[in-house]
Amino acid sequence: MPAEDMGKLSYRMRLTFALATVLCVLVLAISPVKDFRAEWKHYKRSFVKFAQGRPDTKKLLADYNPKIDQIWLPGINVVDRCTTCHQGMTQASLADRSVPQPFRAHPSIPHNARDWGCTMCHRGQGPATEVAEAHETTLAWEQPILPAHYLQASCGSCHHQDLKETPQLARGRELLSRLNCQGCHKLSHIDQPSLGPDLSSVGYKVSREWIYKWLKEPRNVLDKDGNVTVTGYESGDESRMPQFRLKDEEIKALSGFLSGQKAKPIEAYKINPAVVAAWSKKPDLLPQAEVRFRQMMCTTCHPLAVTRAGETKLIGGNIAPELTKVGSKVNTEWLVAWLKNPQGYLAHTNMPKYGWSDEDLYQVSQYVMNKLTDPELLTGVPQLGAPTEDEIKLGKRLFTEKGCASCHGLQGISPQKEFGPDLTALGAKNASELEFGKAKIPHNLPAYIQAKLQDPVAVNPAARMPQYAWNAADLEAVTTALLSETGPKASSALQHLVIPKNEASFQAVGDFAEVYERYKCDACHRFNGYGGTLAPDLSYEGSRAQKKWIADFLKNPQTIRPTLILRMPQFNMTDREAAIAAEYLSMAVQKPDVNPENVNATQFTPAMVTMGKQLYEVKYQCQSCHTIGGSGGYVGPNLNNAGNWLTSAWIEAWLRSPQALQPDTIEPKRNFTDDEIRALTAYLMTLRAGGNPQAGKSAANAHPVAQGAGR
Amino acid sequence: MKSKSLLAAMLLAGMICAVGLPGCKKSRPAVKPDEAFGAYDSEADWNDSTKSTNLGYQESQGKRIFYQYCVWCHADASPAGPSNRSNLTPVPPLLNDGEKLNGESDEFMQNIITLGGSALGKSAMMPPYGKTLTATEIKEVIAFTRAIAQPPYQKPGRPGSQYNAK
Repeated sequence: MPAEDMGKLSYRMRLTFALATVLCVLVLAISPVKDFRAEWKHYKRSFVKFAQGRPDTKKLLADYNPKIDQIWLPGINVVDRCTTCHQGMTQASLADRSVPQPFRAHPSIPHNARDWGCTMCHRGQGPATEVAEAHETTLAWEQPILPAHYLQASCGSCHHQDLKETPQLARGRELLSRLNCQGCHKLSHIDQPSLGPDLSSVGYKVSREWIYKWLKEPRNVLDKDGNVTVTGYESGDESRMPQFRLKDEEIKALSGFLSGQKAKPIEAYKINPAVVAAWSKKPDLLPQAEVRFRQMMCTTCHPLAVTRAGETKLIGGNIAPELTKVGSKVNTEWLVAWLKNPQGYLAHTNMPKYGWSDEDLYQVSQYVMNKLTDPELLTGVPQLGAPTEDEIKLGKRLFTEKGCASCHGLQGISPQKEFGPDLTALGAKNASELEFGKAKIPHNLPAYIQAKLQDPVAVNPAARMPQYAWNAADLEAVTTALLSETGPKASSALQHLVIPKNEASFQAVGDFAEVYERYKCDACHRFNGYGGTLAPDLSYEGSRAQKKWIADFLKNPQTIRPTLILRMPQFNMTDREAAIAAEYLSMAVQKPDVNPENVNATQFTPAMVTMGKQLYEVKYQCQSCHTIGGSGGYVGPNLNNAGNWLTSAWIEAWLRSPQALQPDTIEPKRNFTDDEIRALTAYLMTLRAGGNPQAGKSAANAHPVAQGAGR
Repeated sequence: MKSKSLLAAMLLAGMICAVGLPGCKKSRPAVKPDEAFGAYDSEADWNDSTKSTNLGYQESQGKRIFYQYCVWCHADASPAGPSNRSNLTPVPPLLNDGEKLNGESDEFMQNIITLGGSALGKSAMMPPYGKTLTATEIKEVIAFTRAIAQPPYQKPGRPGSQYNAK
């Protein structure tokens, strides 16, 4: 090769090499540049800049670390790198809403993130270091962050016992039990379901036409415009009976089959003919009957729609069926037999067995059958007549196939086992395990559960699940409760975290058991965590109330709370029953350290009473919440009769710490001195509203109509 | 020859782009946390039920405590129906009354809830809750008050940094 060529070549070579070198350097630089520009490093640098713009820079950057931060808790399977970007998490000064994410401080919660990590509650991908991978559903990651309004679901996956901090979860669990979701689905740590009525003898109760209407529009029996419906949309409660997607011939068949169910003849009760003869002639029978109906306080448990000032609304309790149109539903013979002995028709009912007089029974049944009616209720329902053999056969088949037997008992038919899918691990499912069908919803678990609850066939056209009418808050609550059903914990380390549900129970004993069973005390009252919440908790009633007062109250219940127009119904207990109950309650259900016998009432001097009155009225102004005489507040109980009602031991213990006796009471614990406590007790014990509790009766009857369902 | 090296250079440049750019181009995530993940809870405007305010964890706990303890005297309706406000003199402020409460500092609010009205020279009808609620719970109630205030509450003092993380 000639020398000049070599020179030329070497120039070209050199050029090529030079270029190649530059390119190599560039290629080699890619990786560090990419690394430098990694998402998490961007947030690291941003935090430094952010901190420098704040007055407490030094404190904010005290434990700054330019590398990936992680919370590693091998004991509970946590590897969370969230704090790499969420760097202000523990900085109290960054708690304000105006602080941009991801730097805002975590609100103070009962669990410390350093001990629990982040994904335990928020879900998402702990090890991920990119925003999308950590938070969203991507191809490789299937557990997105749980939206904040479902976060209580995470509390529920360990806390099987309800917490006061998680009302939404508690409401969801309550609904799962109330609507008897366990009739078809397997669920864990949900209260015992409440079954729908047994239908073995429903043919004696309602007509075939009524069953037809109910199956067609179970939540529209009250009002075709949907103003006040049994959906409870307005009353705040879901209808327990959902709507099934039934064809007309299916409804005909089911109504035919059910109207023929007459397993056990009703125990017909014949009201004394003399009573009927005397009352049926009275021109003001119905107005008088209405007064009696109200005095019986049926609305303490049953909702009832009333129209006042042009506005129709549901009033009354929510633990029993709505009565607004019940007169167009049941027949008179059934109603009288039912009122006389509810358990004779439905063994599992919570309806107490009243001690009716024939007069009351006649008046109330006349009022219900003539006034709580809607002549147009069955408009549009064809005259169905007697069912054909084929209809009955089809109806019987549908009763099991559609899942009716999962909620309603029926003699001779047993419910199908495992009718619906097992939901005990639903909350831990990945998106790929779910069938979204053609539903146009985000492919994640919360969206799936919501869509399925709202319209079961939208997700799966072949779904057997019936249609519920949720209001927005209940839909979220039930979704939260289902998300908390995350199944058994993956490892024994996690199993230790579970706080199991308290299973409460209460067993009445001796003579009281009979009274308790007859009047269904636990339908409304709570005993040691067991029972209803409509009425006061009686766990410590024996420490609280005087025995004579309990007996008088049971014979003639009066409301103690000024804003409550609802009160305990008058059961017409016999003297013996009232005495048994008073004896049992005052002796057996006590708080051990509040023994009425420990306080000697003779120690109270007039000087103490005067001081107590002064403290009550001036220093502590208790009248802001309590009424004495005609004036005072509506918040606490009326104290007019405190001296006859409460024991002095209870008043002393209560003033010392109300929450020790009733944890959720709103009366604040005060700083009373011992002298003040004794003086206040002495004063309260002087408050006696006449010896005869009957005296208050006329006042209570002056406003017999319940105006609110408050407790 | 010249075109060949040009070609090689272009190829390499292409490679750089192919390998490097995805790393550079990746758009900054447009995650708006409050919108994407929703609020913990919300409270309907007391005067206009069509509007509602989103609540964070702290505020929603405040809401729960408010509806258990405070609603009786600091709202126009209580869970039992009528409000106890009209029984009291002086009439207690509604909790969303920004005109009255926005001017009070968090410290004052904390004190009056903890110690009661009489300790601060106000009405003794406001009882002390310091032995019933924890300091955290009282802070939560204050946070709820601030969240629902009408007119809206502005944090006093140095305005929050306008610096944006993006």
